[in-house]
Amino acid sequence: MGSILARMGLCLGMMRLRMTEDKLKVGFYNITGCAGCLLSVIFNEDDLLHVAKIIDIKAFPFIKEKKNDGELDVVFMEGLVASNDDVKVLKEVRKKTKVLVALGACACTGCIPAFRNFIQKENYERKVFLRKLELRDQKPVPIDKHVKVEYYIPGCPPDKNEILTFIKDIVLGKKPRGYDKPVCFECRLNKNTCFLDKKELCLGPITNGNCNSVCINGGLVCWGCRGATPDANFETMISLLKEKGIKAKDIKDRMKTFVGLKLPKEVIR
Amino acid sequence: MTVIKLNHITKIEGHASLNLSIKNGKVEVCELQAVEGSRYFEGLLKGRRYFEASEISSRICGICSCAHTVTAIQAIENALGVDVSEQTGLLRELVTIGERIRSHATHLYFLALPDYLGYESALSMAEKYKNELSRALKIIKMGNGIVKVVGGRDLHPVSLTVGGFLKVPSEEELKEIRKELELIKEGTILTGKLFGRLEYPEFVNKTEYFSLVKREEYATLNGDMVSGSKRYKQEEYSKYLKEYHEKYSTANFVVKEGRSYMVGALARVNNSYKSLSSDARKILKSFKIEFPNYNPFVNNFAQAVEIVHFVDRALDICDLLKVKEEPVKKVRLREGHGISAVEVPRGTLWHEYKLDSKGRITYANIITPTTQNLRNLQDDIRAYLPSVMKLSKEKMILEIEKLIRSYDPCFSCSTHFLKVNFV
Repeated sequence: MGSILARMGLCLGMMRLRMTEDKLKVGFYNITGCAGCLLSVIFNEDDLLHVAKIIDIKAFPFIKEKKNDGELDVVFMEGLVASNDDVKVLKEVRKKTKVLVALGACACTGCIPAFRNFIQKENYERKVFLRKLELRDQKPVPIDKHVKVEYYIPGCPPDKNEILTFIKDIVLGKKPRGYDKPVCFECRLNKNTCFLDKKELCLGPITNGNCNSVCINGGLVCWGCRGATPDANFETMISLLKEKGIKAKDIKDRMKTFVGLKLPKEVIR
Repeated sequence: MTVIKLNHITKIEGHASLNLSIKNGKVEVCELQAVEGSRYFEGLLKGRRYFEASEISSRICGICSCAHTVTAIQAIENALGVDVSEQTGLLRELVTIGERIRSHATHLYFLALPDYLGYESALSMAEKYKNELSRALKIIKMGNGIVKVVGGRDLHPVSLTVGGFLKVPSEEELKEIRKELELIKEGTILTGKLFGRLEYPEFVNKTEYFSLVKREEYATLNGDMVSGSKRYKQEEYSKYLKEYHEKYSTANFVVKEGRSYMVGALARVNNSYKSLSSDARKILKSFKIEFPNYNPFVNNFAQAVEIVHFVDRALDICDLLKVKEEPVKKVRLREGHGISAVEVPRGTLWHEYKLDSKGRITYANIITPTTQNLRNLQDDIRAYLPSVMKLSKEKMILEIEKLIRSYDPCFSCSTHFLKVNFV
């Protein structure tokens, strides 16, 4: 992974050097999802018009007419694969972009819609005649199950600032940096009272931060939307929460809600 | 024969296509398809704890995540018999107002306006219409600011829960909001004027306009449903609303007593324009657009008027609120069944839950505004086609897209669940 990131950084850097006058050709697309990640781009209210100047936004179907957008340098893709149409769009976009960025929890980890992989079919299908349904329904999965992804901007929703920083980095030819500290790191800096002390189901210790612990600041436990830290100790986390009187089913359901498909299988069984 | 297939209509939330076939001047096929993948939210909610419903269903939609959060919470509270404080009610109203302001402003300036000014996108308008765009972004920022302060985050809010608020905003934060609302006021009036002056296509297709109403209030969180002079109880919604499925779409369609109807800003203004704030009423009266109005394109103007109204209402709420720390209401678990209807940016949103005695969800049903509007929108496209048929294909498509966008449809919302009944 690290070497891919390094190569991409280098590649983007060289690209910048080669055509200093040309702006990066960027696309913002979405497949099945809630549009929240693209809104996180648009809702950079003070910077949006400036961003539109420093990059060449070739495609953004949410707010722009569709045009023949040709070859692209970077594409931000929101959403997960849940239909045949999604696969088609995703593969077409992959073909024409040098760099593909998974934007938000659906694209990175499958988010809540992919929780469907962990529940019984009877829960969500009523009188469905599978043969016909399967024509357009796809197993709900993050985009890297279908195509190669160079970068991930996690979170539901992704942090507006993180998106902005990412764009600035690629424009400058810098390699966007990953983040590997748990939510607890920022949470403590924000002087929040620890939810675990209150015997609540908080996934902060095993979840990647860089969200400024926004949920906990607002009074909500961490649901783990940004995915697990590289060194997450799932076993200890689960037994700690069990000791606090929380049921195993509730712990595992919560862990699977946003990022289930990216957790080690033995953890969530 | 003219066949038009509009794949992936742009400048709407989510993904939709339109199939049209016209033969000898007659519309033979008019199918609006949602092509968004199905996400089965109702199924995902089954088996989850009662307090998880809002956090999960919020993910149905980014732009109206507060709407889903509040509606889910109220429905669960109805199932459990929880009454909340006046402060909680006002804060919930405030957060939905913030969302309404940012959603309407996003739709009006970024999705609808380029059509009327002859641009392919708001971004390409930036040079000539810099003032308008910065105004739009300021209004959006205002709405987001309210949601952030009250809800804890501007998308998918975190501080709202069953029985109250996990964290309430401070007095200083609300003061700051109040100050900014005053500053934005002029911009909202200019927005009202801008959308009052636009030339909307002359098209009238009267339907039923369905929305929440409440005495002496422009209803948001509760009230009865009304259409014309007929009133309907929220709890009895399954008696008058019927969901059905068309093979060609991943979204459901809904009819009221067998007929199509419209929800959203136009329906609300048609039903309750007398309860709008005085400045909003002034804007409403200063243009040659009469209310009640039966032109779906005028939904844009109705949204602009609502922005003016809701900035005034938000100011009132800031004055009414004397925020104090309040513990979240204790919940006594019991078997229960609850329904809630809330007015949200695109119309009335319905959530219904059944809970078992341990507080787990055994049944969930969610009907979003766009699913309710789909059938009416399809009827409108059919009725509008004869008047644009003589235009060039390109212009005709633009006109149809304009009509679709005027509804501000959200296909992300409408395909949250696929209830298929294929045979």
